[in-house]
Amino acid sequence: MSSNPRNMRRSLVAGVVTTAALVALAGCGGAPASDQSSAATFMTFETPAITPEFWDDSIAAALESVPGFEVERIVTPDADRNAYAKQLQASGQFPDLLASISPKDFIDADLLLPFEQEWLEANFLEPDANSIDGVTYQPPSNSQVLPMVFYNKVIFEEHDVDLPTTWDEFVAAVETFSAGAVTPIELAGLDPWSASMPVVALASADVLGSNPEWIQDRYDESVSFTDEEFVSAMQKQRDLIEAGAYSDSALSVDYATANTNFFDGKSAMYIMGSWLVGAFPADQAADFGAFPLPTDDGSVVVPLNVGGTMSVSSKAADAEKSMAFAKAWTLAPESMKTLIETDGAFPLFKNIAFEDFGATVTPLYDDAYAYVTEDTVKVSAFGWVTNDDALPPGVADKFYSLSQSLFSNADVEGQLAQLDADWDAAVAE
Amino acid sequence: MADRLTLTRRSPAVAPFARRSVGLALRARRPLGLAPLAWTAMALYAAFLIYPIVQGLFNSFTNASPLALSSAFVGLDNYVDLFTDRRLLSSLGFTLLVTVFVTVAANAIGLALALLLNRSTTNYRVMKTLIFIPQVLSGVIVAFIWRSILTQNGLLNSVLQNLGLIDAPVSWIGTPGLAALAVCVVVSWVTIAFATVVYTASLQSVPAELYEAARMDGAGVWSRFRNVTLPMIAPGTTISVVLCLITTFKLYDVIAVLTGGGPAESTKSTAFYLITVAFTDNRFGYGSAIAMLLLVLTAAAAFGLTALLRRREVNL
Repeated sequence: MSSNPRNMRRSLVAGVVTTAALVALAGCGGAPASDQSSAATFMTFETPAITPEFWDDSIAAALESVPGFEVERIVTPDADRNAYAKQLQASGQFPDLLASISPKDFIDADLLLPFEQEWLEANFLEPDANSIDGVTYQPPSNSQVLPMVFYNKVIFEEHDVDLPTTWDEFVAAVETFSAGAVTPIELAGLDPWSASMPVVALASADVLGSNPEWIQDRYDESVSFTDEEFVSAMQKQRDLIEAGAYSDSALSVDYATANTNFFDGKSAMYIMGSWLVGAFPADQAADFGAFPLPTDDGSVVVPLNVGGTMSVSSKAADAEKSMAFAKAWTLAPESMKTLIETDGAFPLFKNIAFEDFGATVTPLYDDAYAYVTEDTVKVSAFGWVTNDDALPPGVADKFYSLSQSLFSNADVEGQLAQLDADWDAAVAE
Repeated sequence: MADRLTLTRRSPAVAPFARRSVGLALRARRPLGLAPLAWTAMALYAAFLIYPIVQGLFNSFTNASPLALSSAFVGLDNYVDLFTDRRLLSSLGFTLLVTVFVTVAANAIGLALALLLNRSTTNYRVMKTLIFIPQVLSGVIVAFIWRSILTQNGLLNSVLQNLGLIDAPVSWIGTPGLAALAVCVVVSWVTIAFATVVYTASLQSVPAELYEAARMDGAGVWSRFRNVTLPMIAPGTTISVVLCLITTFKLYDVIAVLTGGGPAESTKSTAFYLITVAFTDNRFGYGSAIAMLLLVLTAAAAFGLTALLRRREVNL
């Protein structure tokens, strides 16, 4: 830089002008243009079952009902949709439409629009199943049993094992398989969400099965994770680990590999959400069955997650059309047909009979769906539901990782005490 | 210079107004040089680095949430919480472990590779290019590659089983100890590439005459390396060590894909943890305090190490 004072002054002026221009540009970057009022951003996710084509086709179909409206799709980088939505919100880019988030995280900040009760009651069998404080931010269009115990009928027959109906029978089956050359229970242990399935099943069946209000009681601080009932439920997972229920490398197994292992007959059982039904190769599906995790006394408890897909931002540039699009997408039979076939979704529509979706399903789907339609004890899928029973922000993730930590840490009560502390901290926030 | 002389010669003879006009005209003709570019760079630096740091510092004294529009001042509460956060301490311990491992491994192996490849034939140039590839790949892609290698049915277990070295698959990323080692190895794999390039460039700047003189004095291979090579590449060593340290301290992408911080949060780096705190737990203010702590620790380690290595450069 020149030492000439005039040059320095001139440089300074140029610098100030440049800085001001950049700051002005940065400040103006997020402002929506007025001619984009009929467009919306839609935060979606992709899995092997929920493909980009599914989104593109279903969006295009729903847009036919909302003339003059456009949708730009955003894809979450990983399975944590809530965290990505929060990142977008923090950077002033909260999407107008959001797929399969947990609304509870967002309603305190008044970021979501409620669906009208009248519309919910007119279209869904369980209109209040996904409500939070009596208000629904995600239509209850379908349900999933989360999780179920899938089993390989051939392996059960080979080992002369009957379907277990009580916990003791389940443990006996595990011991039988463990003594043989087959992994008793497949576990997709690499990612916390998939590793969580056994503890979700245990907390749902044992804890919520005996006290369906347990989560609300925890919010009221009248129960805690270190209570006997919860410790006992989690101890069962530790006992399974010690009994050799899972392979030694279970925590190195990702979801896709676990599916392959199970389909290939390398393991006898697999605790997973009912979405797995859609992943079975059609020619193999008859060799597999599913049942809810058995309880001590043999009572059947079905952990259910009622949900939908669509949530609408209260800040949407065109809230009216965004809501219209969300409703059109939700009620489109084509969208649900794909979710039934590929994601094992169990529809809860009032005005569309199952046959009318035209979905091709396997007997395994029918068997699993029976647990939803039959008169069984249904409880919230612990840590997965998105209604009043949703856990405080961040607690579900810590609960999921408990399933992993129980592999290397036998102190069940100590870990649950930490979970209590995490819950209290999250609620305090 | 010519302009200035001209102005000086003419200035006594012209009226003040005319003098100013001449001055403006001359200024307009004078080239701006690199000043606008420099100021643009400074402005970008301020907008994208200084401003976020200041904003982060401000947030660290609040209870900001990624969801809430407003926040309240909470004084030093977030900083006090740092001292009692068991998960933070655990993440700091893991980050330190990875940083030390990667910095040592990358520089030792990077230097060894640079010494091996310090030739200018086509074969060696190709090998240098191949070794540099991991540095060019994004951390996410690197982690995906290694994840497919290290999972239960991955390449490593398949090879070891086929060679008869193991009976059952090893849980490379499913046990806390091995998962930590896996993260160290994968991050080292990337940083070795960078260190190799830095050391290769440094080695090429060492005059051949020095080696010749040392040889004539009877110096052996080790003596030449100890007394010629190491002192001459000392500036490169400083750069490589400090940049490896900084890169590893803020590690996020590789962990997010390779282990997701697991199993049971055993491979959560501090950067990964602060993202979780900010965007999963909604504690943006506390996350900012962790970010400030990470910034201070990284800066202290970088400055300390730089000073140490510079002193070493002088002593060598």
